[in-house]
Amino acid sequence: MSEARKANTAPVWALLCALGGVGCTFAVFLGPPLQEALPWLSLLLAGSAVLLLLVGLRRSFGQPEIYRGKALSVVLAIVTLVPAGLTGFAFFGARKLPAATGAPQIGQRVPDFTLSDTSGKPVSLDQLFAATPESPAPKSVLLIFYRGYW
Amino acid sequence: MEKRLGEFQAAGVRPVAISVDTSDVSGDLARKAGYTFPILSDPGAAVIRRYQILHAGGGPDGHDIARPAEFLVDSSKIVRWTNFTEDIRVRAHADQMLAAARQLQ
Repeated sequence: MSEARKANTAPVWALLCALGGVGCTFAVFLGPPLQEALPWLSLLLAGSAVLLLLVGLRRSFGQPEIYRGKALSVVLAIVTLVPAGLTGFAFFGARKLPAATGAPQIGQRVPDFTLSDTSGKPVSLDQLFAATPESPAPKSVLLIFYRGYW
Repeated sequence: MEKRLGEFQAAGVRPVAISVDTSDVSGDLARKAGYTFPILSDPGAAVIRRYQILHAGGGPDGHDIARPAEFLVDSSKIVRWTNFTEDIRVRAHADQMLAAARQLQ
């Protein structure tokens, strides 16, 4: 009976990938260059983590004569699911946005409006194109609709 | 965005931020961040609906908010550039917007 069974490293790589996925998820907020790619990278790492943990389980249970570490592969698989799950949750959660298909598109005219500024004074879209004491009349206005900070 | 406000001004762009936050909340934000551009309040999301960018129930207590959206509008009120992010964490790059802005008279 051979004692020299191979170490089952797949579950360890699975955990590392899952942790990498979480790392990428946090890194998105830092806004580094290529920020748009980070969410996809995090999803790829989380997916790889799940694949690797399945490979690890299949090896330790399906090929116990070649690979050791049944208990460890189970423990690591369970531990890996936490960061992998969080990564997936963050990815899909951040994208739960309604489509903007009905919004004004390039070439279309935007609707007029009048809204209060920070001092409670009403300001119209027309007035936004006027000069103020702080700045000259702009050539364009960038309307930035944001979620709010409540 | 703060880093590029000088570029906005040089390109003739006036940023205007709009959300469902009240004037008080927006005022606090403006003071803390040192923003001097207009920040407007749309507490009932009426204008947000008019622009068809409503995110119904997207706020923490389930109240209606805007989905993130940006429109570069010229003096004829025509849209010249848009940004509708698919991931709330990813910010728009100002370069494309500034390129569009610089082409305007």
